[in-house]
Amino acid sequence: MLAALVVRAEDAPALKPVSDPKPILAELQQKMSTLTSVYLEFTQERQLKLFAEPLRSEGVMMIDQPGMIRWETTAPFQSILLGNQKSVAQFEFADGKWKKLKLGFPQMLKRAMDQMTLMHQGKLGALTSDFTLSVSTGAVTVVTMVPKDENVRSMLAALDIHLQPDLSATREVVMREPGGDLTRIIFSREKRSVKFPEKTFDQTKPLEIAAIKAAVNNAP
Amino acid sequence: MRLNLLLLAAAVLTGCATAPRTQIQRTPNSFPADALIIQRGVLTVFTPLGRRQFTLNGYLASSSTKGQRLIVTENFGSVLADVLVKPDGKAHVMRSSRAFKPQWIENYIAADLQCLFGNSQQTDCPGRMITANHFLIERLWYKLELHIVDTKAGLQPSEMFDPTKGEKP
Repeated sequence: MLAALVVRAEDAPALKPVSDPKPILAELQQKMSTLTSVYLEFTQERQLKLFAEPLRSEGVMMIDQPGMIRWETTAPFQSILLGNQKSVAQFEFADGKWKKLKLGFPQMLKRAMDQMTLMHQGKLGALTSDFTLSVSTGAVTVVTMVPKDENVRSMLAALDIHLQPDLSATREVVMREPGGDLTRIIFSREKRSVKFPEKTFDQTKPLEIAAIKAAVNNAP
Repeated sequence: MRLNLLLLAAAVLTGCATAPRTQIQRTPNSFPADALIIQRGVLTVFTPLGRRQFTLNGYLASSSTKGQRLIVTENFGSVLADVLVKPDGKAHVMRSSRAFKPQWIENYIAADLQCLFGNSQQTDCPGRMITANHFLIERLWYKLELHIVDTKAGLQPSEMFDPTKGEKP
């Protein structure tokens, strides 16, 4: 048991905080600026101290210009969140059909979706009004975002974005809570500059994920 | 997160009275007595401005001897409510949030939990079982559609059912 812990500790990459994060953030934005669209599959792990194992869900995230995002959970339930520069929409699949929800606080959801879009476009500088940003480097580069609002901080202590050392891709996002619980979103199967099929981001009748996956996987 | 304010406004405007109904009748052994039951819910709140919907994830740890513990989270994982209901029906609010205050968790989330999954007798249970994995709670000012998306049978950690281990709401 102890040996396993020692090995794990040795495996853990040592990260060093950088004194001035601005050059790294500028480089990140510059690298991501060429990105017109991105397709990512994700595994979301909810780690609660009470549970022996993390609670997992899976899905797909898609971002396209101008400011369009689709966050779709595919298992263990099906749900689609869609955002663009003007509005957000949510669909739930139940009893064999998709239902569009009459969202309770669309402005809050839109804000969260906008922040996700900015993060994946490398435009972290645009988030400094809401977050204090710091950067650590090592085997990975980690951008840590601490909410400035005390009320938000009571639910979200910090958000860590783990990037490849060359800042070319996001590996995972970790949302840490004050009590030690966390949510880890691990990204995989990234595809860049994807041409998404029509209605991928449609907020009235979004295209089924199977059709999108087929189009993305068959693209040259 | 002004959900609680909306709920309160709706309650004040429409009144809270509902005719007493008994706990729903589930088919025997429909769930393992010791299990983690993962749920997805759509909460529809009826407000003076119309209906408003919120999606919730529920993680229900159930013990045949120690009670039931329900943790409710929003889309991206933040905990909105955490409640322990002991076998005698007593509810302990383990964690609350800006969206769900302790009183709401005790009066409604714990009550709905008891209504759908509890073993103790409950006199006010506005719930229905649509299918084995689909449940509906209908109160005058809110509706909860609940689907069970996964059930992991097995004993749950005993500390889950310790009421002294909660955060102070």
